[in-house]
Amino acid sequence: MKSLARILGFDTLGDSYAYRDDPVLGYTSARRSAERWVKSTCGYCSVGCGLELGVRGREIVAVKGWDKHPVSLGKLCPKGLSEHQMISAPNRAKYPLLRGRGGKLAHVGWDEAIGTLVDRFTAVQKQNGPGALGVISTGQLLTEEFYALGKLIQLGFGTRNYCGNTTLCMASAVSGYKRSFGSDGPPGAYEDFRVADVTLLIGANIADNHPILCQHVEANKAGFLIVADPRVTKTAMMASLHLPLKPRSDIALLNGMAHVLFREGLVREDFAAAHANGLEELRSFILARYPVERAAALTGLSAETIADVARRYGRARAGMIAWTMGVNHSTQGAETVSAIANLSLLTGHIGRPGASPFSITGQCNAMGTREAGFTSSLPGYRKFEKKEDREELAALWGIEPARIPDARGLAYPDIINAAADGEVRAMWIIATNPAVSYPNQEQLRRAFRSLDFLVVQDGFHPTPTSEYAHLVLPAAIWGEKEGTFTNSERRAGKVNSAVPPPGEARSDFDIFLAVADRLGRRDELFPGWFKPVDAFNEWRRVSRGRLCDYSGMTYETIEAEGGLQWPYSDGFHGSPASRLYSTARFQFEDGRARLFTVDCEPFPDQPDDVFPMILNTGRTVEHWHTRTKTAQVAILERMAPNAWLEMNSSDARALTLSSHDRVDIVSRRGRVRDVELRVTEITAPGQVFMPFHFFETNGNEVTQDAFDPISREPNFKQCAVRVERSARKQGNTLHGTD
Amino acid sequence: MAVELPLLANAGNHSFTLLTKGSPALVPARRPNSGEQYRFHFDMTKCIGCRCCVVACNEQNGNPAHLNWRRVGELEGGIYPAAQRWHLSMGCNHCLEPSCLIGCPVEAYTKDSATGIVDHDPDQCIGCQYCTWNCSYGVPQFNAERGVVGKCDMCHKRLNAGGEPACVNACPEGAITIEIVDQAEWRQDYSAANSPGMPPARDSLSTTRITLPANLNADRVDDWRATRGQPHWSLVGFLVATQFAAGAFFTIWLLEFSGAALPAWSALVPLLAAKLALAAAPLHLGRPAFAWRAIQGWKTSWVSREILAMSLFAGLAALYALAMYFGRPERVWAGAATVVVGFAAVAVSARIYMVPARPSWNRPATLAAFFLTALVTGLRAMPGLAVPAGFASVAALALRWRETQSMAASESPELRASASIAAGGRWHFYLGLAALFALPLDSLASLVLALASEVMGRYVFFVSAVPRSMASTFLKPGGEVPA
Repeated sequence: MKSLARILGFDTLGDSYAYRDDPVLGYTSARRSAERWVKSTCGYCSVGCGLELGVRGREIVAVKGWDKHPVSLGKLCPKGLSEHQMISAPNRAKYPLLRGRGGKLAHVGWDEAIGTLVDRFTAVQKQNGPGALGVISTGQLLTEEFYALGKLIQLGFGTRNYCGNTTLCMASAVSGYKRSFGSDGPPGAYEDFRVADVTLLIGANIADNHPILCQHVEANKAGFLIVADPRVTKTAMMASLHLPLKPRSDIALLNGMAHVLFREGLVREDFAAAHANGLEELRSFILARYPVERAAALTGLSAETIADVARRYGRARAGMIAWTMGVNHSTQGAETVSAIANLSLLTGHIGRPGASPFSITGQCNAMGTREAGFTSSLPGYRKFEKKEDREELAALWGIEPARIPDARGLAYPDIINAAADGEVRAMWIIATNPAVSYPNQEQLRRAFRSLDFLVVQDGFHPTPTSEYAHLVLPAAIWGEKEGTFTNSERRAGKVNSAVPPPGEARSDFDIFLAVADRLGRRDELFPGWFKPVDAFNEWRRVSRGRLCDYSGMTYETIEAEGGLQWPYSDGFHGSPASRLYSTARFQFEDGRARLFTVDCEPFPDQPDDVFPMILNTGRTVEHWHTRTKTAQVAILERMAPNAWLEMNSSDARALTLSSHDRVDIVSRRGRVRDVELRVTEITAPGQVFMPFHFFETNGNEVTQDAFDPISREPNFKQCAVRVERSARKQGNTLHGTD
Repeated sequence: MAVELPLLANAGNHSFTLLTKGSPALVPARRPNSGEQYRFHFDMTKCIGCRCCVVACNEQNGNPAHLNWRRVGELEGGIYPAAQRWHLSMGCNHCLEPSCLIGCPVEAYTKDSATGIVDHDPDQCIGCQYCTWNCSYGVPQFNAERGVVGKCDMCHKRLNAGGEPACVNACPEGAITIEIVDQAEWRQDYSAANSPGMPPARDSLSTTRITLPANLNADRVDDWRATRGQPHWSLVGFLVATQFAAGAFFTIWLLEFSGAALPAWSALVPLLAAKLALAAAPLHLGRPAFAWRAIQGWKTSWVSREILAMSLFAGLAALYALAMYFGRPERVWAGAATVVVGFAAVAVSARIYMVPARPSWNRPATLAAFFLTALVTGLRAMPGLAVPAGFASVAALALRWRETQSMAASESPELRASASIAAGGRWHFYLGLAALFALPLDSLASLVLALASEVMGRYVFFVSAVPRSMASTFLKPGGEVPA
């Protein structure tokens, strides 16, 4: 209730709207005045922006960009600028909750929570075998936590069925790098955006998804930017040339470019022959199968355009190809990455400033789990199948080599399918929200319903996923814990704790240590570990001499430099190498890269008369992933409060639909209801697009659970749908829409 | 005149150079000279639509999410794949003829003589929100929690200290900068302030320079948007009551002048209406206790003038009513003065609404409608004038019908949107017809129906006002906006 003084206007809340000349921020709202500032690395995407958190008491009251930070140059995106608001969200998970007999989640102590977790997991494993426990983690934890969790799961619980949501994200890049270069690891650096003559962004909408990278691209005044995307994205508008190719025709584009390179003598034969295997096979494959005219037919681009792009890239002093989910989210994702690597290798555009194939990662620390996480490879990019790698690791850890698995376990989708089939009986989901992000939600629900025991560990509760949990573990989040994140360009950034977590929440690191303790394995797995730095120091030893070498880094030097790029070996001084493969020596035994013949296949869920349109999904700048965090930030919700479906005006006319009509999107698997339609020219006829952030209107009700056979990444980007006017009609006309 | 150079003056101050990031490329290195002012430059070719500026502005000013002193809009055009999408970003345009300042009844606005920045003082503001109607860009925004308006002040205290405004500082693309402009030259040619998706700069001589892409072929994506405005019930009541009073005094005076014998208390009803309306008027203010300030701006503000005119009218009306009650002969002159001032006050009321920022109000029909309200209701106040009252009703109905038709056929998207909202509420039309047909049957019923019709008409007047504003984004902003 308003006081009388406010109703009459004597009180205008002058105090809470006061300004102050702040010693750090300058003249600004007094609400932002901090007592101390804590440097950190942003916890949303993988760009890895540097920022500072302003703390007053136990509250983060402001965020500011870290001036002169090598990545972000003092800038932050709208999510970063409001990141502090997310920490004090009302739906933070504060207490361990256990589902009791009545089916209700009830507050329990940590002892009981950890005890129940260990008892139930080990009981399930005892009865059904160690693999009956599936663990799905994330790209959101700290490297120290990933390193600890990997050991805990693989060695402590002894299950190989451990994967992360990075499989919904970067797995294709990982697999592609391994296939082509012999190891994971993005070869390029952000500086390449600034200095490349020609940059081809393929399936990457950085203006929405990695906005702070745009300043590096824009700084490249002499460069020629090509954006290949079926949609006229904000990024396409930045381009010198936009290639509006057909969905999933990127391999045809890349092969068509290769054809022009071969045909016109633009292949650097000396480089390719000296440093890669498979040149002649590739040459004959491309010349026979992918004449540029065929590529033109497959992509919908003109042969002249493809030839122009190929010539520009082939003749460039330094050419860069960078990609994101448009490439990865595909049943041919890993192969597409190989096709990109082919072009780099054919032209020698690798390992030099401006010359690189470069995956722009999704999550803030997807790189950390790739390097240290023990999911799709052994820590330090070691290979499960390689005996020497297992032995080396066992020696470092002082354990029997036989305890290290010689093959990776089930990948994320295979864990879900195994759960639906009753083979995986218990699951631990950490800092991810599959009830929004997993393709074909019906299959996920089948899996959840089949489980005997589901633990969800998250900073927030309830989330659509934690609603299914038998046990909810409240975790500290970014801003409340210390460690490192590694960004897309292999730069480890320091992450610091500014405030304590709410309620009884604990850092994931502490939770993992407590679980190990209860398992009776703490001393073996985490000897002498108390703080994240203990894990980091062990990780430095374990990564020493590997491609992803952290051995020369310390928390202090990382923070002082605004992040350090690996490889950064012990005793390394001076400016760090910012690119891989500058000597063109690749990570295979013979030091040579591999060229692959990659066929362009149609995507699996082709449109027909019943489902005539192709649905593409993606992101919008205001939101992060499944909106667990950004839905809590009022300004971001204000700017993008709901999902929408973009449809070309010609299709809308045929369906007699108009902007702001409510539509359902129907596929062979499900239906998304009541989505706001946007009639537009930014999507092609026959294609529709919607953002994937919104649980309320979840595009993954209709997406297909088809996976890349190599990377196991889902084919999120194309599926066949039809669009119908929603039964519930509202708000589409000029009349009274308030 | 001495020119202050904050960067130079502070060059020796280590903490200053450390803490301020005023890049010479983004903010001027000198202060404006006489005849110059600061202004925003927005480079559409650089903007990527990330909306950092919006978030940074809200953080800078501690504003709740639903108030955005800087906003980003969206433009689209062309045919796939040659489609185009561009963005607009706008704070305050620090106009040469600031309509907010001119309309403000309490002189809460100032245009700084040294910098040209249009500033607003929340302590002086009484929350009448007239500036929010006047600005074609929707810049001043009412903060209901505080009861006052707020707006972008170009972060002038940051700027004066050599720093960057929050939006300028936050933009990762350098799309927003501060420049110095010569005011006289800009007055001659301000065409660079115009852009698709922007209201015409002539409304208030916006100083913001917008760099457009060479091949721009795009326009706003929110044309459809016809959001109902606030009903402003207290203003509906005020307008109908004062117009009824003016019309009724006219009727009384006319009848008296023509020799009719009226009861001595005749003038008390319209007098009461006028007095109640004036007493209740402050209720729509964010800060009713400070209503008395509202005559300060009489030199420029039509709101101040309305209050003065209405107060004079109410005073004269009281004299007239007294004179009539006591049967004094001076009542003819008092009555004439009351009628003249009353009608003048109605005209001043109408003038308040005739602002470019509200196209559906900025029409001669507003003046006509206000007078017709006075006649339609006032002529029914006394028996014996059924024929002119009937003519007034027919005129009012015809005007409404014609206005809706004309707005619906207009080139202006705001007017079309207004027409479509107005078409949704026809009660005032039916009540007006009923009042017409009731005239020969029951004069009191006809008066009640006429008043009801005019109340509904004024309600539609308010809710169907679709303001000019910068293009918004496609999605309607979300979140709860406190009433």
